Amino acid sequence: MAAEETIVSVAGGTGIGLVPLLRQVAPFAALFGLAALLPLTHNAYFGLVIGRAAVYWILVSGLNLVVGFAGQLALGWVALLTVGAYTTSVLAAGTALPAISPFLALGAAAAVGAVAGVVVGLPALRLRTFYFAMSTFGFATIVTQIALAWRSVTGGGIGVIGPVFGGPFGSTWGFYYFCLGGAVLATWLSGNVARSRFGRGLLAIRDAEVAAEASGVFKPGLLVLVFLFAGATAGVSGGLFASLQTYITPDAFTFDLSLLFFIAILIGGRGSILGPLLSTVLLTLLPEVAAPLVAWSTFLYAALLLVIVLAVPGGIANLLDFASRKPLETGRIIRPDVSALPVLLSGHAAERQLSFEGVTLAFGGVRAIDGLSFTVEPAAVHGLIGPNGSGKTTVLNVISGYYRPGEGSVRLGERELAPGAAHSRAAAGVGRTFQTPRIVGEASVLANVMIGGTTRGRGTFLEAVFSLPRHRREEAALRERALLALKAVGLEQLAQVRADRLQHSELRFLEIARALMPEPSLLLLDEPAAGLAPDEIALLGGLIIAISRAGVAVLLVEHHTDLVFGVCENITVLNLGRELTHGTPAEIVAHQDVIDAYLGS
Amino acid sequence: MPISEAEPLLVVRGLVAGYGKLHVLGGIDLVVGKAELVAVLGPNGAGKSTLLGAIAGLVPRQAGSAHFAGRDLAGMGPKDTVRLGIGHVIQDHRVFTRLSVHENLLLAGYDLPRTAHRARIEEMYALFPEIAEKRNQPASALSGGQQQMLAVAQGVVRKPALLMLDEPSAGLSPVLVDRVLAVAAALRAEGCSVLLVEQAVQKALGWADRVLALAGGRIVLEAATGGPDLAQRLKNAYFGGSEAAA
Amino acid sequence: MVESILSYGLAMGAVYALMAVTYNVMFSTSRVFSFTAGALGMLGGVFGALFIGRLGLPSGVGFLLTLGCCALIGVVTEFVAVRPVLKSLDQHLYVLSTLALTLMIQQFTAIEWSTVPQPFPRVLPFDLFVRERFWMPVLACAVVVGGMEFLYRHSMVGRAFLAIAEDNFAARALGLPERGLRIGSYALAGMIGGLAGFTSGGILLAFFANVPTLNFYGFVPVALGGIGNNRGAVVAGLALGLFQQAANYLVGGVFASVAIFSVFIVALLAAPQGLFGAAPARRV
Repeated sequence: MAAEETIVSVAGGTGIGLVPLLRQVAPFAALFGLAALLPLTHNAYFGLVIGRAAVYWILVSGLNLVVGFAGQLALGWVALLTVGAYTTSVLAAGTALPAISPFLALGAAAAVGAVAGVVVGLPALRLRTFYFAMSTFGFATIVTQIALAWRSVTGGGIGVIGPVFGGPFGSTWGFYYFCLGGAVLATWLSGNVARSRFGRGLLAIRDAEVAAEASGVFKPGLLVLVFLFAGATAGVSGGLFASLQTYITPDAFTFDLSLLFFIAILIGGRGSILGPLLSTVLLTLLPEVAAPLVAWSTFLYAALLLVIVLAVPGGIANLLDFASRKPLETGRIIRPDVSALPVLLSGHAAERQLSFEGVTLAFGGVRAIDGLSFTVEPAAVHGLIGPNGSGKTTVLNVISGYYRPGEGSVRLGERELAPGAAHSRAAAGVGRTFQTPRIVGEASVLANVMIGGTTRGRGTFLEAVFSLPRHRREEAALRERALLALKAVGLEQLAQVRADRLQHSELRFLEIARALMPEPSLLLLDEPAAGLAPDEIALLGGLIIAISRAGVAVLLVEHHTDLVFGVCENITVLNLGRELTHGTPAEIVAHQDVIDAYLGS
Repeated sequence: MPISEAEPLLVVRGLVAGYGKLHVLGGIDLVVGKAELVAVLGPNGAGKSTLLGAIAGLVPRQAGSAHFAGRDLAGMGPKDTVRLGIGHVIQDHRVFTRLSVHENLLLAGYDLPRTAHRARIEEMYALFPEIAEKRNQPASALSGGQQQMLAVAQGVVRKPALLMLDEPSAGLSPVLVDRVLAVAAALRAEGCSVLLVEQAVQKALGWADRVLALAGGRIVLEAATGGPDLAQRLKNAYFGGSEAAA
Repeated sequence: MVESILSYGLAMGAVYALMAVTYNVMFSTSRVFSFTAGALGMLGGVFGALFIGRLGLPSGVGFLLTLGCCALIGVVTEFVAVRPVLKSLDQHLYVLSTLALTLMIQQFTAIEWSTVPQPFPRVLPFDLFVRERFWMPVLACAVVVGGMEFLYRHSMVGRAFLAIAEDNFAARALGLPERGLRIGSYALAGMIGGLAGFTSGGILLAFFANVPTLNFYGFVPVALGGIGNNRGAVVAGLALGLFQQAANYLVGGVFASVAIFSVFIVALLAAPQGLFGAAPARRV
């Protein structure tokens, strides 16, 4: 993804400077402005080609959220173009029902497309990558076959006449502007989604699914919304496509078309909007400007895709991302500013105690946790240590809802944390970090932290789609808060940088910032010091203590015993899923059983 | 036992290794002499397995050097290091459960002449009669302890000059741990060097010539076994506190 | 009609099973499902028609050349579309790289060979009870599955395939030549896919557009029979072929397609790892 675009898109809403805003909008304005001037050439042929590119883009803009943002390999999206085209044509022609206005029919196509989008997309909730690609491919085949067989409605192989949009859009150039307007609208709407918490949630699902869940992103719900959106844009695109074709048969909806949409997104760059827009135009124009290439067009698309995948995984957007090529300052030092913490954690976060009571969890007969109980007090740091395989991370995973315990319960304050249901934890007041940092490398540091604030958003998906005031206010507040969290962990200077350019140690602090976003009552840290230099561990220790002083209960799993003994009030020592002992650091160090467990006698 | 600096088998200098941006090892210096049994200790996450993996070429070496029997290991993968005579028994007795015990041992000598290798396999069966009984059964039929024996036999069957054992005691009963470590000691008696990663410190101390303690990807303690205060120094290495204070 | 359903159904079922084995063999050493499986199947028919039909080579020579060329395409797949993306397997770039390569092969064939189905020549001058286009795929399927069993049980290379498929890391630690074995498995998969296309040439003809059909219907037995389970793939493949032909005759092609697709989706949703496969534990 072009970091610049991301940064700006993340910064979107209020509180963003005029210059970045202009820089963000300029390429789109230039592109659409040029297209709007095209009628001056009086070249109807170009009008047809660019009009077609605009119609394709309406579909691709929605599909882009599915493929480029959510990372779902929807290969057969032409099925939805087919559905939209036939819905519009059949309703406007009145072959099945009394004929209605083509504009109404287009609206109906959007609705039917949205529903069909969910049907085609739904397997994505269970199936991954190749399997999902195959299932959408199957849908594309089926839809064409049904169109062919359902003669009474679709006209079968003979086809049906496409809708004619009357009024000001009846003329060639009138219809051209109609399509262009649709493309501008689609760009704006999909851009609004992309720079909302929904868009960030999609990226998180794509690159860091576990972290997305822990941040409160509910994958099934989010995907259904996006499939609705992408289905609706495809439906509209289909209606316009039918009109552009003037007459449609199942032959018009080749699989090559599906590949064009899919490949355009990947060549454009995953997680970008400008990139896929440019490549949609490019791929549509390519066979037209070089007539001998027509036969080779699919070959060229495929070759381009291969080159992009192997050499430039970021696509066109990456090539345009000049900001990320400027070298970063070397020898950066993380400077946590703990004075930001009280503000960050001042809100309604109640001080609550974690009670882990009599939990047992078995994996195929092996008891990973065996009747373990402990409590973590608010405003205290509790350490969890123990030798290999003693069940430390498993404890964290039970608390964060990745595992369902066989027995026992986990309570935070008075409330029991529902077993499983990892996506409910952020809202319940549990933040966590991971052994291996889980981040969206192509998004900015700021965007990554904002993912942590997912549960603070109240605005609906529709409010985000149309960028309504409440949504914009929330985004601005979230952005302020994320900057504050970055200040607290000492990464404020890097807010606008692509996260994959950070050092390993910086990613660890970034994860803490993200975990603090929902204002947690409980913070789970899974080996936060792994891979850190001694001075960084010292900074981390100070940060952990400061976080607990702000009222947060902290549960720390760590092997660096100096850190554990330095920051924990209490320590539970695990061995083979059971508590070996617990006590203050001084008690633990003096405890012979602990030493034996570590020294293995 | 003194470190035989004269003829070191394995010389590691400033080794940095890890995955991508993560440096698990932060500059390791290590020398293993001929026929020396060196135990590598340390809490988990310290980088012990990464150290063995980096020597074997399974984990990318990001900086520093490793020489084995005078050969630079730079650019070598596990296939090459195995051929040079480094046997690596990874953690968790990951034998191939869909293959028989015998096939598992055959694969360990994938590129060796068939007849000589069969003779070596018979020696392994003599060493571990428990798995000899089940030679034609799938490895999934073995108990955890027997799988560990099979894994060790896979590492030993090529007669390596350096055998690297990664936590061979994990999940084994104390009796079996002794069996496995006794095999390692017997190999050393025949001139094989052994690099032993262990969490069962007392067991390891009983068999090793020398110990290294790793913490946070660095060597924090290096000592010959048998020193009177070794246990205390190890404890300090693990739980903080300076060595001088011990 | 029953005779027709049986002969077409079993022949097509055997082809689907062979395509499934092609997917499986590539998957076993690389954890990659490659779209090139369908391209290999298509090329088996095209190469056969090219060597025997157009160039007039003897059947045996044409057959061996076909297998050789398809093995080469398999190796090219490994070099071009698989190895470069193996490092980041979690990003699923292989789906895109193998798709791209497949499209290139398909389109190249369409332009340089023909955009319309070309006849596939007779291979043998006689028939064995039924016409050769019906028995050849079934025989090929039996030979391949039997041969794979023999390879896995009685050869070092076969055992090494099984070892790598089960635990790639442990296999590398043991010093197995993982890269060479992977290239070998792709060559083998190329031959199996080519065999599927060659033996089914009499039914499917030499046609560039067979690629998506073979890709999809070849993957259904993988999904139903379980990843890496060749026997399951054969059972599922034959059942698929028979069901498809029966439904074609009895209720028409659209219903058959919809029914197969529904079974495929439902089976995948019920058991995403295949009906005979085990789900991996979740890792956090």
